Amino acid sequence: MTRMKAFTVRRKKTLYETIEPWLFLLPALIIFAVFLYYPFFKTIYLSTYLTNKYGEPKVFYELQNYLDILVGKYSAAFWNSMWVTLRFVFFVAFGSLLVGLTTSLLTARKFPARAFASAIYAMPIAIASAAAAMSFKMIFHPSIGLVNRLAGTRTNWLNDPAWAFPIICVISIWLASGINFIFISAGLRNIPDELYESAAIDGAGYWHQQRHITLPSLSPTLFFQIIINIISAFQSFTQVRLLTSGGPNETTNVIVYSIYLDAFRNFRFGSAAARSIVLFVIIMIITLLQFRAEKRSVHYQ
Amino acid sequence: MKKLVAILLAVLLCLSAFSALAEGEKTKVVFWYSLGGTNAEVIASMVEAFNASQDKIVVDAQYQGEYDDAINKLKATSMGEALPFDIVQSYEIGSRFIIDSQKMVPVQTYIDKTGFDVSVIEPNLLAYYTIDGVINSMPFNCSTPLMYYNKTAFDEAGITEVPTTVDGILAIAEKLATYDKDGKLDRAGFLFSNYGWFFEQWTGKMGRQYVNNGNGRESYATSVAFDENGAALDLFNMWKKISESPYTSYIERGGTGQARAAFVAGKTAIFLASTANLAGVLGNVGDSFEVGTAYFPYVNEGDQGGVSTGGGTLWMVNSGDDKKMDASWEFVQYMINPENQAVWNAKTGYFPINMKAHDTETFKENIAKYPQFQTALDQLHASGPEYVGSLLSVFPEVRQYVEDVTEEVFLKGLSPEEAVTKLTNLANDAIEMYNLTNY
Repeated sequence: MTRMKAFTVRRKKTLYETIEPWLFLLPALIIFAVFLYYPFFKTIYLSTYLTNKYGEPKVFYELQNYLDILVGKYSAAFWNSMWVTLRFVFFVAFGSLLVGLTTSLLTARKFPARAFASAIYAMPIAIASAAAAMSFKMIFHPSIGLVNRLAGTRTNWLNDPAWAFPIICVISIWLASGINFIFISAGLRNIPDELYESAAIDGAGYWHQQRHITLPSLSPTLFFQIIINIISAFQSFTQVRLLTSGGPNETTNVIVYSIYLDAFRNFRFGSAAARSIVLFVIIMIITLLQFRAEKRSVHYQ
Repeated sequence: MKKLVAILLAVLLCLSAFSALAEGEKTKVVFWYSLGGTNAEVIASMVEAFNASQDKIVVDAQYQGEYDDAINKLKATSMGEALPFDIVQSYEIGSRFIIDSQKMVPVQTYIDKTGFDVSVIEPNLLAYYTIDGVINSMPFNCSTPLMYYNKTAFDEAGITEVPTTVDGILAIAEKLATYDKDGKLDRAGFLFSNYGWFFEQWTGKMGRQYVNNGNGRESYATSVAFDENGAALDLFNMWKKISESPYTSYIERGGTGQARAAFVAGKTAIFLASTANLAGVLGNVGDSFEVGTAYFPYVNEGDQGGVSTGGGTLWMVNSGDDKKMDASWEFVQYMINPENQAVWNAKTGYFPINMKAHDTETFKENIAKYPQFQTALDQLHASGPEYVGSLLSVFPEVRQYVEDVTEEVFLKGLSPEEAVTKLTNLANDAIEMYNLTNY
C-alpha cells in the first residue's frame, strides 16, 4: 500500500511545463482558428441573417433561412439538390474506387508495357478538372461531338435530363480514378507475397486469393480511399459549373453548386450559410457512420 | 533573433524604396478585363501599344475571368478601403449593381473636366449607360444580337427572303433541314440557345419593359413588368412553338457557343448570337459556305421595338488619387479612339463605338471585305434610344431563372402560363430580398 501511494503522488508542474505542450500546438491552432474555426462560427452567425450584396448582415432573420430551405420557399430546390448530391456521391465514390481497384489489379502482375498501362490509369490525377470538362463539352457536342459521330446518334447529351447526370458521374469517376489507382496500387504492393504463395500451395485460385487475401489486406486502404472519395465527391464543382450549370431541369445541381449560386450569384449569403451548415451536419453524420462501419469490416494487420 | 528581424526589415525597406525609385515617374494603372480568347489578345496588344506610345503611364492589364467572376471579385474587394484596380470592364447588366456600390466615378466627370466630345459616340449605346442623367461608364465593347444564316443553304433551298420573325424562321426550317442516309436530322433549320439575354432583347423587340419604374431607370425596380405587359407569355408561347417543330432543336443554355460550333460545322442553317461572334464565325467558316447576317427576329409580326446593347463598358474607380484617375481617363480615351475602335471592330465584331472610326481605312477595308458587319450597324441605328434596355441589380440571378424556366418549357413541357407565373414569382422574390437588404 505505501509503495503504491508513493507512485501516485506527483510533483506539481511548473507553469512552463503546463504551457509547453500548448506552445507546440500553437502554430497549428492559429492556422485552424483562422481558416477553420473562425469561418465556421461566422457561417453559423451569417446563417441567421439576411445579407446585403457585400455579404454584410443586415436583417436579423432568426431561423428563417433554415426554414426557407428545409420546408419553405426554397425547399423544393434544396431537397432536389440534396438528392442529386447523395446519388452523385454514391456513384462517384464507389465507382472510382471500383475503377481504381480493377485497374490496379490489372497492373499488379508483371507484363510488357505494364509501366505504360500504369501511366494511363494514373493519368487523370494530372489533368485539371476544368480542362477535362472543356474537352468533354466538345466530345459530347450534339452535332459535331465525337460521341455522336461514333455512335451515329443525334443526342444532345449534356442538355438531356436523362443523360446529363450519368455523364457528369462518368466524367467525375474517371477524374477520381487516378488517385484511387495510385493508392490502391501502393496498398497492393504492401501485401506480402508469402500469403499468396501459401494460398496457391493450398490450391486457392485467382478469385479465391483476391477474395480472401487481397480484399482483407487492402481494407484499410480501401476504407481510407472511400472516405477521401466521398468527401471530394461532395465538393465536386468544376464539372457541374462548366458542363451543365446545374441543369437541365436541375438534374445536376449538386449542393456545392447551389451554395455557390446562392452566395455569389444571388447575393444571399445568409441562405448560402444555412445550406453550408446543413451540408456540414450531413457530412458529419456520414463520417460517423463510416467510422462505426470501419470497426466491423476493416482488418488491420 | 531580434537582430535578424531588424536586418530583414531593413532589407525589405530598401527593396521597396528601390522599386519606388524605379517606377517613380510613371503612374501605374491596373485594368481588369473580362474577355478571353482572341478578344483578349486584341486587348493585350492595345494595352501594349498604349504603354509604348507614352512614358507617363503604365497600364497593367489583368484578366479576371468572365464578367460574373469579375463582378464577384469586385464585390469581394469593395468591402476593403481601396480597390486593387483603377479601371474595370463590366457587362451591361452589372451597371445598376456597380452604381449601387458607390465606388466608381462617373466618366461624365472627366468628360466635363476635359471637354471630351461625346457626340462621336454612338447615341444608342451611350443611352444605356446614361443613368440619372450622367454617363456612368464608357462603352467599349458593345454588341447587339444578330441572326446568322447559312446563305449557301438558303440558296440551295430556293429561299430568297430572309425571315424577320421567329414564325418566319419556323416556316422555312423544313426546307432548310437535311437528313442523313438513315433518315436522321443532319442539318437543323434552326438551333435554339436558351440564353437569358435573348429574353431581354425580345422584350425590347416587342417594345415592352422588363421591370417596372421605367425599366428601372426612373428609380430602382421593385418588380418585373414582363408578366403584366404580356411579354413573358408571348415569349414562352413562341418557345413552345420552337420546341414543337421537328426541324429545330434546343441546344444549350447560358450562352451561344454550342450553336455557333454547330453552325460553323454546317449543322444548322440559322442561329442567333451576339455581333461579337461575327469575326470568329467568318474566320471559322472560311470558304465552306457563305455566311449571311440579318436583324434579330421579331416575336410577333408588326412589333415596333428594337434591340438594346449588350457587352461591356469601362468603369473608373474613384480612388481619390487624382494622378491615377487622370491616367485612367487617358487610357479610357485611348481605348475608344477612332483607330483603336476600328481595329477592335475588325478583329472582334463588336461595334466601333466611336463613329469617327467609320472614316478610318481599317474600317472601310473591313466593311468592304465583310459586308455582314453592315447589318449589325444598321440594326443598331434602326433601334431608337427608347428601347435602351432595363436596369436591375439582380439581373444575373433573374437571367438564370429565365433560363431555368425556359428549360422546363422545352424539356418538361411546362405550359407557357405556368412558366410566366413561376418566373414572375422567382424574379419578384429575388428583387424583394435584394431591395430589403440593400436600399
